[in-house]
Formats: sequence, structure tokens, C-alpha cells
Amino acid sequence: MANMEYNVPSERWPVHPETATAEGKNKFVGFWIFLAGETVLFASLFATYLALKDSVPSDDHLLAAELFHLPLAFVMTMLLLTSSLTSVYAIYHMRNNNFQKMQLWLGITALLGAGFLALEIYEFVEYVGLGHTFRSSAFGSAFYFLIGTHGFHVIVGLIWVTLLILRNANRGMSVYTAAKVNTFALYWHFIDVVWVFIFTIVYLLGVL
Amino acid sequence: MAEMNQEVMTKSQLEYLRNQRTKEMRHQLVSFGLMIFLTFMAFILAASDVPAQFTIPIVLGFAFIQVILQFFYFMHMKDNGHDFAKLLIMTGMYFAIAFVVCMIYIVWIGAPIE
Repeated sequence: MANMEYNVPSERWPVHPETATAEGKNKFVGFWIFLAGETVLFASLFATYLALKDSVPSDDHLLAAELFHLPLAFVMTMLLLTSSLTSVYAIYHMRNNNFQKMQLWLGITALLGAGFLALEIYEFVEYVGLGHTFRSSAFGSAFYFLIGTHGFHVIVGLIWVTLLILRNANRGMSVYTAAKVNTFALYWHFIDVVWVFIFTIVYLLGVL
Repeated sequence: MAEMNQEVMTKSQLEYLRNQRTKEMRHQLVSFGLMIFLTFMAFILAASDVPAQFTIPIVLGFAFIQVILQFFYFMHMKDNGHDFAKLLIMTGMYFAIAFVVCMIYIVWIGAPIE
């Protein structure tokens, strides 16, 4: 059976469709290497943030404890955590060879991710209004670089999943598309992993 | 492009597989519930008047538990064939902890060289 056969009957759909081909296996291993690199990238940003936290040039700059609002961070966390679960549902339906439901859950994931991004933009606009900008202090630079890099990853993920949904809408499922969807799901979970550390280290420990 | 080799499954084999997947989904839902619970507890702790020396290690511990759940259940690291992925992420985590500990030590704890 060729790699590019679409809408395979469930009797012939592989147990692990995402790694059923050599290409799928390569994507899988390659993507974990990428994620290990991303771990180190975010680690250096976390280390920078922790070193420069509350380093402001004068008393009229706001510090972390005065700046952060836990309710907003809580809602953002819930949105991203739930979007992680919905992409798990997409993978579940992908393995069960249910294309329509997979598309539906990917769509819900994208909506939740967009909600998260909107709240993050709102948060940044509010901070800039309070005089906390990228250039106002070392604290500001480290904060926006860390959270902004995470936000950039969310934007990339949103574009990625939108393209996946649109590109496959008319052609359906194959082991070729299954590997792509699985790679996206790994990426999305990883974004959530990074956010778990951000809300803990930046927001929760920031207000203490 | 490579061929995939998939034997035709019987109805009962398919049924069995689906049941296994539903079971896995149940595990994933339980781990999601745990993550939500840990997040709630972490936020409540941070918002309460509990001393910081007590809150910091617990909140960090909650984060690590959440991340382990995310890796093992949501990213399927508990399944076979993830040895290489585990090695890579553990290497990444090693560097991550080294960076953070070094930076905190240099900036906030360590005495300047005499």
C-alpha cells in the first residue's frame, strides 16, 4: 500500500499511523531532537529572567509583585492546558481513523490557542501602558524576551495548525498526514510544558 | 516514498485496539484532571499568606509533576519506542537546570571573588 493512499479503511489503518512509514519515523525522532534544543533555548531565557528579575534603574519602575495579576495568568493557563487536552483528542481520533473528528478537535485547539494569544497581547498592552516596556529596564527586556519567545511559538503553532486543517480538508487522512498532525501535537504539548514553567516561575513566584 | 506494511485486521482485533485506545484516553483525562488540580493548588498557595520559603518548593514541585504528566501521558512518552526521546529531553533538562542554577548562583547567592 502506498504512502499516499487517502481514506484507508480502518481494517488496514496502522496501529501507530504516525510512525508507520520511514518518513514518519524520521519526523518523530527529528522532532524530539528539535524539542531538546528548544528546552535549552527556553532554559537560557529562564536563567536570564531569573538573573535580571526586578532589576530596574530607579524607584518609579514597577516590580514583578506590583505588575502581575494572578487571575489573568490563571485564565491563560486554563486555556492553554485545555488546548493541550483537545490536541490529545485530535491524536486519539487520528489513531482511530476518524478524519472529521480529528479536524474538529484541531480546530478547537486552534481557537483555544488564539484565545490565549489574545489575552497575552492584552497583557502586554496593559504593561506597556504602565511604563513596563522592552526598553524600560533589564527586568523588562528579560520578561518580554522570555514571554515573547513563548508567544511567538504560539503564533507559529497557530499558523501551523491552520495550514494543516486547510491543506487536508479536501484530501482526508493518510499515514503521510497522520505524521504531520502528530508532529504538530508534540509541538503544542511542548508549548504547554514551557508555559507551566512560565506561570510558576514568572507569575506565581513573581507575586510572592 | 516508503511503503507501509499493515496487515488487514479482523473485526475483533480492531475492536480490541479501539478499547485499548479508549482506556488510554481515560488515563489522559485523569492526568488532565490532576494537572488542573495542581494548577489550582499552585495559584491558591501563591495568592494566600503562606510564607514564601514554604510556597516556592511546593509550587516548583507541582510544576515538575505537571510536566512529567504532560510528557508521559499527553506526549506518549510512557509508550514503547520513546527511549531516544527520553534521552534527548533528559539531556535538555540537564542543561536547563545547569543554566538556571548557575545564573541564580552567580547573580543572587555567590560572593564576589576576593
